[in-house]
Amino acid sequence: MIGYRIRRARRLVCRLLVLATVLSMLFSLSAGASAGGFEMGTSYPGQVMRPGDELDFTLEFYNTLGYGFTAALTASDIPSGWTGRFEGNGSEISSVYVHSGEEASTATFHVEVPDDAAQGTYTINLRAAGQGGSSSLALTLEVNEEASGSSALTTEYAEQQGSAGTAFTFSSTIQNNSADSQTYSFSSNPPAGWMVAIAPSGESTQVSSVTVEAHSTQGLDITVTPPENVEAGTYTIPLSVVSASESLSEELSVEITGSYALQLSTPSGLLSFDANANKQTAVTISVTNTGNVDLQNINLSSSAPDSWTVEFSESSISVLEAGATQELTAYVTPSDEAISGDYVVTMTASSDETSSAAEFRVSVKTETIWGIVGILLLVGVGACLWYVFRTYGRR
Amino acid sequence: MASEGTGSSFVFLQLFTTGSGSIYSFATFIAFLGPLAGIILGFDAVSNERTLGTLNRLASQPIYRDAIINAKFLAGATVIVLIVFTLGIYVSAVGLMMIGVPPGVEEVLRIAAFLVLSAVYIAVWLAFALLFSVLCRHAATAALACITIWLFLSLFMSLFASGIAGALFPLDGIEGVSNLMSNYQLELALNRISPYYLFSEAASTILNPSVRSIGIVTMSSIQGAVVGTLPFTQSLLLVWPHLVVMAALAAAGFAAAYIRFMRQEIRA
Repeated sequence: MIGYRIRRARRLVCRLLVLATVLSMLFSLSAGASAGGFEMGTSYPGQVMRPGDELDFTLEFYNTLGYGFTAALTASDIPSGWTGRFEGNGSEISSVYVHSGEEASTATFHVEVPDDAAQGTYTINLRAAGQGGSSSLALTLEVNEEASGSSALTTEYAEQQGSAGTAFTFSSTIQNNSADSQTYSFSSNPPAGWMVAIAPSGESTQVSSVTVEAHSTQGLDITVTPPENVEAGTYTIPLSVVSASESLSEELSVEITGSYALQLSTPSGLLSFDANANKQTAVTISVTNTGNVDLQNINLSSSAPDSWTVEFSESSISVLEAGATQELTAYVTPSDEAISGDYVVTMTASSDETSSAAEFRVSVKTETIWGIVGILLLVGVGACLWYVFRTYGRR
Repeated sequence: MASEGTGSSFVFLQLFTTGSGSIYSFATFIAFLGPLAGIILGFDAVSNERTLGTLNRLASQPIYRDAIINAKFLAGATVIVLIVFTLGIYVSAVGLMMIGVPPGVEEVLRIAAFLVLSAVYIAVWLAFALLFSVLCRHAATAALACITIWLFLSLFMSLFASGIAGALFPLDGIEGVSNLMSNYQLELALNRISPYYLFSEAASTILNPSVRSIGIVTMSSIQGAVVGTLPFTQSLLLVWPHLVVMAALAAAGFAAAYIRFMRQEIRA
């Protein structure tokens, strides 16, 4: 009797245990069914795009059902003009096999935004449906027209510096961010005498306009040549690039550094003259400021042989403007011991900053007066002879 | 400028100035032996006629008496001009054949001036010789007198000049330095009495364009000077006094001979 009860008690315990086990299994099953199943997802479902952009969304499919199945892929709410397609392994697909397990299956959703897409937020709904259920995914695409719609003209090193006589080259880039190819024509408004030449990058042909395809760039080499006698200072060259729908502008800045240069010569350029010993000879000389800065206090000096004298009509020039020429007279008196032939006289114009020297070749001539005196002597001798003939002859 | 400035471009002129150890240059030859031609043409021009007795007959012809002495001088001068120019052109022609470089205008002018100078120089000696032929009764006396003067002026005048200059302005000792200038000036002045020296100076100047000065060249004259050649007119101006002096000498010698001849008693 007691043994029967013990057996019944054991059965009860066993049944309870089995029940507990089944219950626990049921609980665990119900818990697995609520966390797992089939899901489609992507890392960054919301993105900002520009018109004309293309973008790939990597789709991941999670399946914890314990069996694999084929899911059909559909996309809805694609804005008109947009392109959206599923891709796998580089080719277009319409369904994906979602295998079971921890590791996700992948596919790609490819979106192309048209060039004329308007600014705004667009939502594309993706849906994957199959034997194991269905999953939806909303892709949020924000098209930002502000950053992309306007074209741009940019210049590398828009402010340059150099001496007069330098040609400045600016590298500029036109970026056409519009949806259509545009023809941009250039106009610049440089200061008087300046030259602006525009050529496509790497080409020598000067152009007045360029056509830039939509969403592409065109490099430009802009060569700015200042006039020969430009004064030191900062110059701004406004450059505008105009197309049918856009107007871009840029300011190029050139700083001309000061250069000091003088030139001493004669108005005719002839650096030789004749002179007589101990006789003053006037020579016109010209001093030109060939730099681009006014020069102050230009002194004139000379280097001549001993006991020659060289005097200037003005011993110094107080101010000589850039590009200006002043004519002076130099009075050269050769020494009374100077012999016939050529001598060198160096004249120098110098300011604090620069100087210029010119070597003059002075041809000292014997004065013809002595030749005339000789002829007179010969005439005198002839007269004496004639007198002798008259006195003693014809007898 | 340098191409025409260097003396080497005047190749043709060097024909007249280049000599060797054994042969004189043309210019030296004229300077030294040219006087002999003048002396030979003149030393017995009148005295020989007198000795032979033909002067009387000549004077009795219906001609003026000065025509005789004029003819003697002009004939000699003509021969001299012929000799000099013939020689000069001959040397030029031979030189042209040898070197094949034609002379430039400048060189032709310089050679012509040199030949005129030579003719005047020899004419001076002709006038001297003519004077002695009038003065001396015997031709031998006239010849000896002429040759003596020629030898003295050509060979010994330079010794004589340096001797006198050295005696008046000694170059020895401390004061020698201060005398240097005066010594040289006196020596130069004495040398220039001699037609030989005058001619040599003038010939070397006219035939060498790079000679820029005759006489003393001080350091202050050279300082700052550029090596170059003178144009022909400048060279001519440098030698112009020489030419004038020699022409005047010839005229004076002839005038003296003329006066003397006209006042002589011929018929005796």
